[in-house]
Amino acid sequence: METEFTEAYQRTSAEGRETECEKVANILDLVIDGEASTDEQHFFNSHIEECVSCFESHQKQKLLKSIISGHLKRVIVPDRLATSIKARIQETV
Amino acid sequence: MSEQTGKQLSKEEKDARFEAELLPVLAPLYNFAYRLTLDEDDANDLVQETYLKAYRFFDYFEQGTNAKAWLFRILKNSFINEFRKKSKQPAKVDYSEVEGYYNTDDVEGEGGVATTTDMRTESVQDLIGDEVASALNALPVDFRTVIILCDLEGFTYEEMAKILDIPIGTVRSRLHRARNSLKEKLEEYAKSMGYNS
Repeated sequence: METEFTEAYQRTSAEGRETECEKVANILDLVIDGEASTDEQHFFNSHIEECVSCFESHQKQKLLKSIISGHLKRVIVPDRLATSIKARIQETV
Repeated sequence: MSEQTGKQLSKEEKDARFEAELLPVLAPLYNFAYRLTLDEDDANDLVQETYLKAYRFFDYFEQGTNAKAWLFRILKNSFINEFRKKSKQPAKVDYSEVEGYYNTDDVEGEGGVATTTDMRTESVQDLIGDEVASALNALPVDFRTVIILCDLEGFTYEEMAKILDIPIGTVRSRLHRARNSLKEKLEEYAKSMGYNS
């Protein structure tokens, strides 16, 4: 029956054969955001030492994050906002 | 779920604590409101409403806990409610339903950036800033939100999950997709400026 085949097939394609690079891709954001566990971080570090393409995607992802935090301008808060908040609070209570 | 912390504060105590603990968050909160609404008046209203609610529910706020995350959460909820009212959309548009949706057509009428640009550093910096802002603004609001919370405001995944009322796994996948969309937009821009990948 097809079920046996499908099951076996799914096992190898979905979980069985995750390459190191795929694992790295899966935890890339965690690493960038400082959310990786110690084990994940170790695995990641040792992999990118020898894998150029993962090293490069790490560089790119880091760059993206630093562009956001470094170049995105913060809008300036209107001068009167704090005062009008306090005034409205006093009116409503 | 925070319980009311027993004793009621006097009005003076409440006002003093409110000012000391919540008002310092005004700048990031306004910035978040602006990035959500993309309109200064709406951002103003949203922030005022957020602080009014925060004041009303201040007894439920536990001193010393994360005031910034608490306010961001209130603002995000107000935004969703306001947005719903204004746009008269079906009562609840679940964020996850629109996650795959991503419109590349309505971006600020292409060709806005001249290809011959003065390359002195300041103007390049400005240009990058503007381009990052417009790339970000062109993302769907739920993608925009996670990027701002994570990369600009530095919230942890756990805090983001609380602010947005979604599981951490969803935070992760949403952030991942948001970054991919943003990367695509910025790569298009880099190419138009003569940089190749």
